[in-house]
Amino acid sequence: MPMPWDTHLPDAQLLLALDGELSTRETKKVQRHLAACWKCRARQQELERTITDFARFHQENEIALPSRDGPRALLRARLAQLSRAEVRPRHGWIWAAALAGCVVLFVAIMNVRHPEPYRPAAVAAIPDSRITPGATLMTTRESVCAQPNTNNRAVPVALRRKVFAAYGIAGASPRDYEVDYLITPALGGADDIHNLWPQPYSATVWNAEVKDALEDRLRDMVCDGSLDLTEAQREIAVNWIAAYKKYFHTDRPLTEHYRQ
Amino acid sequence: MADVPISTILPAYQATAAPGARSPVEEEVVALFDQFRERLLRYLLGFGLAAPDAEEVIQDVFLSLFLHLQQGKSRDNLRGWLFRVGHNLALKRRQRDRAGSLTELAADQQTAGLVDPAPGPEDQVLASHVQKRLLAAYRALPERDRRCLWLRAEGLNYREIAGVLEISLGAVALSLARSLARMERCAKR
Repeated sequence: MPMPWDTHLPDAQLLLALDGELSTRETKKVQRHLAACWKCRARQQELERTITDFARFHQENEIALPSRDGPRALLRARLAQLSRAEVRPRHGWIWAAALAGCVVLFVAIMNVRHPEPYRPAAVAAIPDSRITPGATLMTTRESVCAQPNTNNRAVPVALRRKVFAAYGIAGASPRDYEVDYLITPALGGADDIHNLWPQPYSATVWNAEVKDALEDRLRDMVCDGSLDLTEAQREIAVNWIAAYKKYFHTDRPLTEHYRQ
Repeated sequence: MADVPISTILPAYQATAAPGARSPVEEEVVALFDQFRERLLRYLLGFGLAAPDAEEVIQDVFLSLFLHLQQGKSRDNLRGWLFRVGHNLALKRRQRDRAGSLTELAADQQTAGLVDPAPGPEDQVLASHVQKRLLAAYRALPERDRRCLWLRAEGLNYREIAGVLEISLGAVALSLARSLARMERCAKR
């Protein structure tokens, strides 16, 4: 950078030096010039005074702003939402598979926790949501309702074994448990280990037949348009007994559904 | 049966289901929001955006930041990044509003803290003669020069300012020198 001693430094150059924006070499040149040139030194001081005035003006005219609490909470909620959306697979082939009705979509359940050391679950009328959160095919109401409401497919033996193992009852007799779908295929439930659980035949009140009745009711409601398919899947996955009570308006299984 | 390996779905489901769990990136974004929200808001109000619109732009800025960080993109100079994205979003919003002259006026008023034309507390703050002249000079600057000066007063370096305003480093230096010279002249009158 040419810097003849017989010319003065432009304001921009003085400002760059003041703001520390010059290279070491350029800075030294400017310093040498300022050491020799009173006019440029005085000009730099004037610029500095103006900067000081403006900085004070900038600081003292800060308008009062509303609290950040509300916007902060809103941001947190949006980030949580975005975070959930972000971790979903975004590859085209996955979505293509989804459109083909082949992607397994897990149903959100409120009480599921992060993975933790597994402890055998107590086998009961309601599955352990850590192991059986429910899984559905990516399907539509039209597709579900176009299919006949037949009995559930038999669960393959290998898959049954996996379900037993997941519940810590690997050695249990198949005669003691029915491996049941949490979300029935008639409502878009998937043939997936996360949608299967060992329902004990010993369950005498809230048993498989009572659940079958709920599934039929929900499917009828979905197909006549009075219930959203996703909502039906969610309710049955979260707590099918609570769903039964809600949709049959009763605290106990109705006689016609109850296997004595 | 699903064609997609279950493991590709499972983490998504767990993330959905885990209550209250926040990722480190979320926490980082919120920390940056706490640090920069006020400064960004004042800068955006200078565009003449209404306060709710400016707040909405800020939300968009930090959601974009989340995606930026989540995708593993550069963490260099996030301060400059925030102002640049905020600046661009504010410009877009202002263009959409299609009320240029009014928003310009509002920008001047917001920047000066003089939304109410009647004498108010802000006027009292501007008690000094020099400051009143500075205000007049500042308001008379072209918008780009005002932005430049404001960003420099916010502590952004020339490279950051150049990035925000999409101008060269030389243009930043010339803009600042020009603005300071004009303000100095006004203050001396």
